[in-house]
Amino acid sequence: MQLQLQQLLPVYFDDNYRNGSEVWRKDLTFSKGEYVKIVAPSGSGKSSLMHFLYGLRNEYSGNIVYNSANLRNYTAEDFAGYRKDHVSIVFQDMRLFPEQNVFENIELKRQLNPFHPVEKIKEMAERLGIGNKLASKSRICSYGEQQRVAIIRALMQPFDFLLLDEPFSHLDEKNSQNAMQLMLEEAKLRNAAIIFADLERIDYFPYTRLFHL
Amino acid sequence: MAVSFKPIRSLLQTGTNTSSRWFSYIGLGIGVLLLLCSIQMFINIQQLLGGEDQRKEGYDFISISKTITNETMGQLEKNLFNENDIKDISTQPFIQGASPLVANRFRVQLSAGDIIPFSTDMFLESLDNSFIDTVPPNFTWKEGQDYIPIVFSSDFLEIYNVFAPGYGLPQLSEATASQVVVYITCFGENGVKQTFRGSIVALSDRVNSIIVPKNFLDWANNKFGNTTNVRASRLYIKTKDANNPDFLSYLQQKNYKVNKDKTKFGRVKQVLQGIFSGLGIFGLLVVILALMLFSFYLQLMIARSKDNLQLLLLMGYSPNWLSKNVSKQFIPVYILVVLAALAFTESMQWAFHHFAMFDRPELSSLLHWSVLATALFLIGLSLITNYRMVRKLLYKLV
Repeated sequence: MQLQLQQLLPVYFDDNYRNGSEVWRKDLTFSKGEYVKIVAPSGSGKSSLMHFLYGLRNEYSGNIVYNSANLRNYTAEDFAGYRKDHVSIVFQDMRLFPEQNVFENIELKRQLNPFHPVEKIKEMAERLGIGNKLASKSRICSYGEQQRVAIIRALMQPFDFLLLDEPFSHLDEKNSQNAMQLMLEEAKLRNAAIIFADLERIDYFPYTRLFHL
Repeated sequence: MAVSFKPIRSLLQTGTNTSSRWFSYIGLGIGVLLLLCSIQMFINIQQLLGGEDQRKEGYDFISISKTITNETMGQLEKNLFNENDIKDISTQPFIQGASPLVANRFRVQLSAGDIIPFSTDMFLESLDNSFIDTVPPNFTWKEGQDYIPIVFSSDFLEIYNVFAPGYGLPQLSEATASQVVVYITCFGENGVKQTFRGSIVALSDRVNSIIVPKNFLDWANNKFGNTTNVRASRLYIKTKDANNPDFLSYLQQKNYKVNKDKTKFGRVKQVLQGIFSGLGIFGLLVVILALMLFSFYLQLMIARSKDNLQLLLLMGYSPNWLSKNVSKQFIPVYILVVLAALAFTESMQWAFHHFAMFDRPELSSLLHWSVLATALFLIGLSLITNYRMVRKLLYKLV
């Protein structure tokens, strides 16, 4: 299970960006079990990279290859399977269903391809300190709470790669560490890789490779 | 592991446009009802007026003539059938044969000899034997033969018997009439004349005329009248069903005159079928309009739930699975709407059969299978259009 980036560059980036970047216009291969840290200042294309890897957008030159299949050739159905079984993501902007409660938001993901039994939702929510929020509509939860919902949601499915796009932007140090710990355990359980993009280095993420975007 | 659609249902926002959804359901129901009722009534008319009753030989024979109007009066070529007319009529699919009634083109006088002191100018006509209902074996003539067999209209005999007493003539039974020998004198130009003996060999209920063998009249027309042109004022037509609307509209279009009594059912049927075809087409239009309204409703629903649906697709829900399940939501409603219309149609048919037609055996209180087939087809049609619509809209969100 490998995720390959071949000369990847967003089409809306000019040449200045590729100089000095350790990711854009490079050939990179990420394998299962690796912890990849991508440090990226604002506007360097961090979210673009995550969206490209997740198959949400394709305004890039170069290729992204998963298991020797080019994402460019994926159909809508292929992407559904890719996101359901192989790659999970925590978005910077959370992307929850505002009118559904916390439990429903997580269950919608879990039922698609359950890696954990339904009881695990409550267990994880309690571990991240949102156990009492399960019945609340997600739109009335704070950003910090929503971020934790998004993290738990990402951990409900099987995956080979877990993509994290500034997952702790609304969390304090303690909550972030707590969530990171949970994600590391879950990744280990699946022998999965984590690709973690953030503004700066974070000490409690034991990365095996480091890139500057 | 089957993914449940239940938690997703609440993500489809259907709340505020309930009225447009109900309008489209009601519209669909009314359209389907109209369509099914029209089909059933169309079939009822076929069964009631379809001429299913067995005629003797399975054919109707009727005579037609051109309508003589003030404009065509005196113009023989416009009032007579020429060979092209006959050819055109014979090639129509609903006409199995046509034969002209050829009349004499010379003066003919008939007298009854000494037995009945009766003499009159009259006419003779000839017709293909296959169009005459009663053709005895001796209805033949050879050149040189001075005896002419005659097929006589039974109506004419009746008319004779009506006026005979007033003129001091004996009334004749059918049997006696065929024993009377009459003398037929043909007058040609320049004082040429020839007298033949004749007798009635058969009476015909079908043909209102005095029929002689065809070869005799052709020969006589040539000899006394100097013409071999086939121009007939009347045509006999052999048709499977004189009430066939196509046949009637052909006659109307050509401005041919026909015995109205023989085709009266056909005319009623023509009008009724026209009405119900119109209603059926209207029903179909309503169905199409309702489906269009429903597709607008679907578009609106999907547009309103766009964010939610996009997020589901983003989470890894298959667009194919989603389209199937979103459109599945409407299956029960569609089936219910069509079944309700079907039930209404059935009760209409029962009431029509029982109260209006007094349980006539030609009809059935149950719906015709084609109505059920149409109902099934409509369910299928709405489901397919619905599914395709949802699928198209959802794939746009991917």
